[in-house]
Amino acid sequence: MTDTISAPTQPSPAPAGDNGNGGGDTTARQVAQRRWRASRGIVLVIFATVLVAIILAALKPTVTPGYLDPTEPGRDGTRALAEVLKQRGTPVTVTRRAADAVSQSNPSSVLVITKPENLTPADVGRLRAASGDLLLVTPSRELLEALAPGVFPAAKSLEEVAEPGCSLPAATLAGRVDFGRSSETYELPSGAAGCYRADEFARVVQLPPTSAAGRTVTIIGSATPLTNENLTKEGNAALAMNLAGARSSVVWLIPDRPRAGSGGDKSLGDLIPFGVNLFFFQLAVAVVLIALWRARRLGPVVAEALPVAVRSAETVEGRARLYRAHHARERAAAALRAGAIERLVPLLGLPRSAAQDPAAAHEIVAAVARRTNAGEAAVGAALYGPEPADDAQLVGLTDFLDDLERQVRES
Amino acid sequence: MALTGRLGLLALLGAVVPIFLPSWWTMLAIWGVLLLGVLLDLALAGNVRALRFHRTGDTNVRLGQTAHVALIVENLGDRKVKARLRDVWPPSANATPDGSGDGRTVTINVPPGERRRVDMTLVPSRRGDRKAVTVTVRSVGPLGLAARQLSRAAPWTLRVLPAFPSRRHLPAKLARLRELTGQHVALIRGQGTEFDSLREYVDGDDVRSIDWRATARRADVVVRTWRPERDRRIYLVLDTGRTSAGRVGDIPRLDCSMDAALLLGALASRAGDRVDLLAYDRRVRARVEGASRTDLLPAMVQALAPIEPELIECDAAGMVSTLMSRVRQRCLVVLLTELNTAAIEEGLLPVLPQLTARHLLMIASVSDPRVDEMAAARGDLAAVYDAAAAERARAERRRLTAELRKYGVEVVDAPPDELAPALADAYLALKAGGRL
Repeated sequence: MTDTISAPTQPSPAPAGDNGNGGGDTTARQVAQRRWRASRGIVLVIFATVLVAIILAALKPTVTPGYLDPTEPGRDGTRALAEVLKQRGTPVTVTRRAADAVSQSNPSSVLVITKPENLTPADVGRLRAASGDLLLVTPSRELLEALAPGVFPAAKSLEEVAEPGCSLPAATLAGRVDFGRSSETYELPSGAAGCYRADEFARVVQLPPTSAAGRTVTIIGSATPLTNENLTKEGNAALAMNLAGARSSVVWLIPDRPRAGSGGDKSLGDLIPFGVNLFFFQLAVAVVLIALWRARRLGPVVAEALPVAVRSAETVEGRARLYRAHHARERAAAALRAGAIERLVPLLGLPRSAAQDPAAAHEIVAAVARRTNAGEAAVGAALYGPEPADDAQLVGLTDFLDDLERQVRES
Repeated sequence: MALTGRLGLLALLGAVVPIFLPSWWTMLAIWGVLLLGVLLDLALAGNVRALRFHRTGDTNVRLGQTAHVALIVENLGDRKVKARLRDVWPPSANATPDGSGDGRTVTINVPPGERRRVDMTLVPSRRGDRKAVTVTVRSVGPLGLAARQLSRAAPWTLRVLPAFPSRRHLPAKLARLRELTGQHVALIRGQGTEFDSLREYVDGDDVRSIDWRATARRADVVVRTWRPERDRRIYLVLDTGRTSAGRVGDIPRLDCSMDAALLLGALASRAGDRVDLLAYDRRVRARVEGASRTDLLPAMVQALAPIEPELIECDAAGMVSTLMSRVRQRCLVVLLTELNTAAIEEGLLPVLPQLTARHLLMIASVSDPRVDEMAAARGDLAAVYDAAAAERARAERRRLTAELRKYGVEVVDAPPDELAPALADAYLALKAGGRL
């Protein structure tokens, strides 16, 4: 491969047959190689970008459809937790719409809200009206504002296992808990209980019942302790049971993806962060600057009036094509005969004027026939005969005239 | 002023910043930094306005040869100027600066008060005047974000003269001429010879050439000698109309005609004849008259250099009347044109008697080898039709030649590389025949 690519760049005395052409003309292959050399950088960059994108997509943890679903027996489901709760006498009702969750909740139930990214702003508003305790699993910012005012998301924590480090009974009974590869932590308001802290932020936050709502809101920064796969690790099962099974029944809200158009009144522009808008703006500025750089030439473009290129023989070639297009055999034959006679006459020792003279025709034919092996009739037909009937005859006539001329010349 | 790619790259990198610091203040800061860099570069770049340009070098070059023109860059400022320079010439001048990487630009470094020389090599590909367009310099600032740029005229004209390839035939033709002259120191008196000198009679001289009057004055028998006439006038007329634009091979007919005219001019001036030149289509394009023997050829070459074929029909009547008004005495008119049936029959033939009554006319024309090639084509039907069309063209040309000869016109019809020697031979034949 490297040999064939580097061959044309060598100086001209390349070994014969190396690339099939000895001269300086560029072959299609050389052109292709030159284009490849010119564009291979771009192709490599595109290839590398696609490769990186594929790797990133492969590394990203996939969310299976049954994630946190109490009816799902897979790794990411929560059927194990639901079954255990049922055995302990705490029925679990699964709902997939926020409105149903609100109607099924009662003052002695715990409403578990999962997958907050599927909740529309309208759903969040409805959930305010839910009665009973709340357990928010990795809540979104909007959900926190609505249901747990005063709690703000802080940094992510990458430590997997954490100690309770608080006085909340549910946590102290559970002991150490495995929160998985990454978990959210929260900034808590005064009076709230924060457990499983990373620095000063807590992974599990419980807001005490307030006089207004009279319910307990618990926030957990990771869904890992609830899943089938991790329920048996450390004190995960205990923590999950203590939080979800704190009251007499459980309403498990696992919202479906909202239908398109039901998401509220936010346009695409509202959803794009301001920084990204500025990024594109600056990108446009950069493009303008690059255009200005390319537009400014080092010196002007020089126009030069070039002479016309008209080939002198163009009219003759045009007439030849017209003859052919119209099968002008008569005219073609007449011109060829006149030319042949013009050349034959001096060879025969006749005066030049005889060529145009119809009276001299017989004399010319006789003289030609004498000096060639063709009969007088054939020579007469060739030099003064009728128009050729078809194209083949015209070609034959031309060859015959050539033959006569050659014989006369050689005789 | 000019911006650089580096500025665009910086602006591109700056686009990442507002993602982390989304604020208009960030944008203003980025733009401020870029603007500051640009202003700094413009302030610190070499002062291109203080540069002055002068030229020196060749003003004439024969087509196909290499000319050297030097551009001298003088820095009148008080700071050093380091810049990229492009000397802009028309494309057909094929100008390249010596020591240039890309074949177009060159880097100059001129300390204050000093001069630097940029040598340009030009290999023009066309005849005519090539004028230097402009000189552009670009001096990039120390940060490489912006540059000062300036274009300034540095006029220079390089005249590209006809190649005159047939001058290699000149020595042979001059030898023929000398042979002719020697031969004609013969004693035969006749048309086209003139009195040369008196000398003593030697055995074998024709008794008819004895000058009895001179003999009577002296003790010896004296004979008169004669030589071919000198100081004949030859008028070379170039047709620069539409038919001269046609290309034979890749050379316009006009260039072949020029080549033939130059050879004939050189030869005739050495033979002692007066040579004048006229280039005409509908008006006089060039004229050389009354040039002395030594500066005839340079004058002709200079006059012919800028002439290009005009795409208009030649005005033969105007040409003849111009000619008749310029020359009173009998002369040889050599008309270099194309034997085009329509152009000659409609243009020249009606006014031909006027011209031939007073002068001897010789028509020289370039024939196209392509037509001969087509006439010899055989094989398939297309080739036969080609041959028929070519035969027809040749027959027309023969007919036209015959018609012109009836008027007593000499016709020289030869392919491009044989036209010049054929025309010179025809001239020598006329001279030998004493027909000038």
